[in-house]
Amino acid sequence: MQTPKIVTDFRTGLSDGKLLVQLCKDCNKPNMWPRYACPHCQSENLDWQHSGGVGTLHSFCVLRQGAPEGFEADLPYAIGVVKLDEGVQLAVRLVPSAPDDWSEYRCDDQVEFVAVSADQIEKRPCATFKRIAD
Amino acid sequence: MSEEWTLNVAPGADNDPVFVGVGEIPTGKFPDRGFIQALTKVAVLALKDAGMVPKDIDTIMLIPCLHSGADQADLVFSRMVEELGIHGTCKSSYMVHSGGSTSDNAVRAAHGLIAAGHAQNILVLQCERWGSADLQEMITMLSKNGIPGEWELPTGIQFNAIGAMITRRYMHASGSTPEEMASVCVTLRNWANLNENAMFYTKALTVEQILASRMVADPLHSYECPPMADGACAFVMTNTANAKKRGISNAVRVAGSGGCVSHYCLSQEADQAVLGWPLAAERAWNQSGWGPEDADIAEIYDSYAAVTAIALEGIGIAAKGEGARWFAAGHGDPGGKLPMNTNGGLLSAGHTGVGGGTALLVEGIRQLLHRAPSKRQVEDCQRAIIGGSGGSYMDAQILLLERTKLGA
Repeated sequence: MQTPKIVTDFRTGLSDGKLLVQLCKDCNKPNMWPRYACPHCQSENLDWQHSGGVGTLHSFCVLRQGAPEGFEADLPYAIGVVKLDEGVQLAVRLVPSAPDDWSEYRCDDQVEFVAVSADQIEKRPCATFKRIAD
Repeated sequence: MSEEWTLNVAPGADNDPVFVGVGEIPTGKFPDRGFIQALTKVAVLALKDAGMVPKDIDTIMLIPCLHSGADQADLVFSRMVEELGIHGTCKSSYMVHSGGSTSDNAVRAAHGLIAAGHAQNILVLQCERWGSADLQEMITMLSKNGIPGEWELPTGIQFNAIGAMITRRYMHASGSTPEEMASVCVTLRNWANLNENAMFYTKALTVEQILASRMVADPLHSYECPPMADGACAFVMTNTANAKKRGISNAVRVAGSGGCVSHYCLSQEADQAVLGWPLAAERAWNQSGWGPEDADIAEIYDSYAAVTAIALEGIGIAAKGEGARWFAAGHGDPGGKLPMNTNGGLLSAGHTGVGGGTALLVEGIRQLLHRAPSKRQVEDCQRAIIGGSGGSYMDAQILLLERTKLGA
């Protein structure tokens, strides 16, 4: 099956160093994850906006073993859920503060989007965030 | 909220659905125990417990397995009808599926079928072979369940990562310590030590052992992660008129239920330390007229300690933020004020996939029928709260069950 356009658009944004959030052109509400019809008003008139890339870390974990197939070489890695200031949420990878060290991170920390290389997005098409220093 | 959720079946009415029998075989690693063999065994045990034979059953409802698509297809396509020799008479055989909350939804489905007259005697069957399956294959499969492939799979998320995030948020919100989180697992082990069918029947567990075990997904230690197991169980439901005709004097009825599907993938949950439990509970109390203080036991999905602590708070058994400390105080232990997960739960009886919730339900029915082995039978057990959750803890499901005396 061909990858749906809402997926390729989102990933192209990541490859270009941008975090895109779907925007409904009829009710003007942001949607994340992107949807095929606006969950607020059911419109299919959907577009993208650039996220400010800043939000709050709702929770996170550091996976140390038991990676899914193909992710073994990434271990350890940290996954978090970010509540963007725009009012939508997404799952992300977190940048360690020092090699393999996420001990500075706390729930409710302010975090920001980090652009990564297009090669990295090709391999792992997800957003990366890091803690905003105190 | 001002929802009304009246059950359209009167307690003790002829069409009031009741549980009349359960069956179970040991949970653990049993590579030589076949899938169909196990299903047949628990079917026969449950039917005997109900005082029935296979030909009494008109409807078979299957709880799914996750270890094999081929085995799942056998369930879907009525293999158990033929194995039990009721092909030609059985009216209907099919599967209900919502992951870990399947048993709760299966009861709702069976309850509706019986009350409406579509079914008389229903046999619900479950078998999982997670303990004998290839571990890496199961990890990879579970990184695709309740996880959107296009959006979240690329992060490398899997089930322990989901459990770890919920645990971290819960510890942050409640101020619970690692020791208090570990105490939940110890309570479950104390119950498993009273259950010969539990995977860890003979093994003790302490807070110190848990905290010394290796870190799998911060903040979860390996002894706080559910052990994948083989297991099978079954139960039988009928209507009250039929139960009376069969001379059954005590059975278990559904006083009400409540539920809330709060998300599909965890990233879309508004508050990982709350989940759907408060609304599910409000709906369950509304339908039953019960409150949390009315239960004698609770059997609530426990694939991770935090999941159960959060449920306890949402249901109102423990005060907000006090779920883990409620366990640390021993309130859920054998002899505690509300016996909790009296089979040992998923964490200590064994995680049998979708079947973990079914095993808790079967234990609740068994306790209400007063058929648990004496060492763990809760005295004068009349009312039970059953709780389930599926996928990435996408839903909170509550069944309120009560023992009922059937008149002559």
